Amino acid sequence: MLNLITFDGGAAAPLGQLSLLGALLFCLAGLGLALLGGVTRDARAVEAARRATWAVFALVSLGTLVLLFALLRDDMSVRYVAEHSMRASPTWIKVTGLWGALEGSILLWAWLLAGFTFILSLTLRRDALRPWALGTMFVSLLFFVGVCATVASPFTPLAAIPADGRGPNPALQNHWMMAVHPVLLYLGFVGLSVPFAYAVAALVTGRLSDHWVVVTRRWTLVAWTFLTAAIVAGGWWSYETLGWGGYWAWDPVENASFIPWLLTTAFLHSIQIQERRGLMRSWNVWLIVLAYASTVLGTFLNRSGIVQSVHAFAGGPVGPVFLGFLALLLVLGTLLAAWRAPRLRDDAEPPAALSREGAFLAGNWLFVVFAVMVLVGTLFPTLVEAVQGRRDASVGPAFYNAFAIPLGLGLLLLMGVGPLLPWRRAEGQGLWRALWPLLAAGLGAAAVAFLLGIRHPGVLATVGLGAYNLLGLGLLTARAAKQAGGLGATLRAQPRRYGAYLAHIGLVVLALGLAGSGTYRRDAQVTLNLGQPVQVLAERLELTAIRQETRPDGRSVVAHVRIDGEPFRARMNTYIQGGDTPFPAPAVRYRFTGDTYLVVTKTDPKGQWASVRLIESPLVSWLWWGTVLICLGASLTLVNPARPVRAAAPRLAPATD
Amino acid sequence: MSAPLSPLPRARVRRRNPWPPVLGVAALAALVGAIAFGNLNQSLEYFVTPTEYQQQRAELQGRPIRIGGLVRNAKYDPQTLNLRFVVSDGGASFPVQYTGAVSDLFKENQGVVVRGQFQGETFHASELVVKHSEEYNVPKTQAELKDMLKTAP
Repeated sequence: MLNLITFDGGAAAPLGQLSLLGALLFCLAGLGLALLGGVTRDARAVEAARRATWAVFALVSLGTLVLLFALLRDDMSVRYVAEHSMRASPTWIKVTGLWGALEGSILLWAWLLAGFTFILSLTLRRDALRPWALGTMFVSLLFFVGVCATVASPFTPLAAIPADGRGPNPALQNHWMMAVHPVLLYLGFVGLSVPFAYAVAALVTGRLSDHWVVVTRRWTLVAWTFLTAAIVAGGWWSYETLGWGGYWAWDPVENASFIPWLLTTAFLHSIQIQERRGLMRSWNVWLIVLAYASTVLGTFLNRSGIVQSVHAFAGGPVGPVFLGFLALLLVLGTLLAAWRAPRLRDDAEPPAALSREGAFLAGNWLFVVFAVMVLVGTLFPTLVEAVQGRRDASVGPAFYNAFAIPLGLGLLLLMGVGPLLPWRRAEGQGLWRALWPLLAAGLGAAAVAFLLGIRHPGVLATVGLGAYNLLGLGLLTARAAKQAGGLGATLRAQPRRYGAYLAHIGLVVLALGLAGSGTYRRDAQVTLNLGQPVQVLAERLELTAIRQETRPDGRSVVAHVRIDGEPFRARMNTYIQGGDTPFPAPAVRYRFTGDTYLVVTKTDPKGQWASVRLIESPLVSWLWWGTVLICLGASLTLVNPARPVRAAAPRLAPATD
Repeated sequence: MSAPLSPLPRARVRRRNPWPPVLGVAALAALVGAIAFGNLNQSLEYFVTPTEYQQQRAELQGRPIRIGGLVRNAKYDPQTLNLRFVVSDGGASFPVQYTGAVSDLFKENQGVVVRGQFQGETFHASELVVKHSEEYNVPKTQAELKDMLKTAP
């Protein structure tokens, strides 16, 4: 394989294409073998299917490596490289070219999917679910590898080889976050295919015990953590490069990643009811089918150009193909679940409203309503276009905020009360005793915030609910520490519980960041003349210099501005392939209490003045720190609990709390 | 004591009351519908060209819209950040007023999408989007413009 580097230019495209076609053959063979093994229960066929995943992974890896080398070696005989890369780019930009455009991003998706399937093939137990879970993974693989090998092949050769490529999309090389965000996002999306595969296997075999839920909890958590990190990383990228000082615009493609997140979050909570109480079995199947389908929907929206977005690539034939796969997933998932629904019996009556499972169920409904509303907002313009024939209509952020804020506050409310309630049922008296300190803390915090001058009802509610949640988690921890004989003991015994608590604390921090930066953001635009200080937003701005810088891949105009004596360097980057289009690179001063954000929008060619935009938004960094806490908490829930020495019995069932 | 054989096997499937899920889904649909259609019609923002605006003036006057066309007669004062120009699609033209920093891309005869609303005959813009195609070229002809405006953000 190392010989690849010495191949002459023309070999990359055929080698890559061959490896993808080979992978496609192994996908077909693996699917056939898995189905055969599932139907005949022949262990040899299942084993062969399992090994086919290794071949698929090896071949897709080879294809990915070929594309990577083609990008690094500026092999312009490959159309993808010629159209989306160029010689002058720094090396890391060439690497990100692997997912910087349509074909490469689908190849990355297929590669990660093959990698996950490979890991799954190593961990999958020898049980009745095995052939069907493998078979479902092969269906997904067949689709993604098939798309890569046919309609969106990155290895189409070019007849006329250009001297240099057209270069990457300038917006994608403005920030290092572009090296992180797409990979995290695909890891999240791809990770959801595993619980989906298990759900399908459970439905097909009729083994609808809670085994599949127990097995997939870890997979779901890992996928969810990547997805969470990816969504926020995307927000940070937007904040750092688009120059508008915001991080979330309810853009259709942002929504497309948010819908699976909402459904997966609901799933992570409702599978606990299934694990603990044997309830909500069919609900969980539906949730994971919809969550996985929504990742495909997201990709379809992203790639088809059917909705307008900053992310939309020109689609070509990929859009309809994704729509077909989406329809297949939904139709087959629905038929399968409808066929097996009578067997998805719950062990007990529906949960009582005043119980932990009742709170989880209510939270689930809020998540689902939230997801449906986001979907409605995303697709509504398309519907209007189809029904009314108006060419273009769009739904503004006002629409989303109208429901996102109350639903978010409702979730914060349930998040505090849920862990306090016992399983099965709570008596009204006991609930009130548990709840009043929290409510008092919430009201107290809101009152303090009011006295400090906060008048916005949404922010007051967020502050109140934040205090209410933190006190609730603190009280629960204190109580458990007392029982277990120390904080360390309870932490070691219940990492899953404290991981969840930590994630909830992270969410409170994130919510406060959203409330603060969303409500109290201040924005001003002004033209600064060289050496003439101006008072803007209670800051003193002075333009000290405008410098031109030349880079191999373009040039930059840097405005040196002093804000209250501190130097800021706001840039405007232009790229060779971007023509005259400037891309702002704002200068941001990150502070715990709030950020100062400076963007240069226009400069005088003679260097005498610069128009700038100054944005002050409080608590923005709480979004990033909150996310760090959420991801740490989610990782902690994956840690196995320490067993007390005397209970040396082998652990059969996974942790239940 | 052995139980008498029953003529039919016991039904395996427990009969469930179908109403709670049906009512739940119906309530959800109603809620979504109410929020969506009550709220959406107000927050829907239409995108029109100057000619289209001329035809639908009664309906769109005073309402937040986006209008797209080519830039003509632009006058920009960097010191006050005041921008005046005319947006035109060949058929109709309207004066636009905007205050704020203007990107270098904003030039004569280039495609522009402005968000805002009409007050009388003047469009008061709150946001200015200079349109460029995927390849980051600004459209130069009327046909290119139409093509590009279709994918306005």
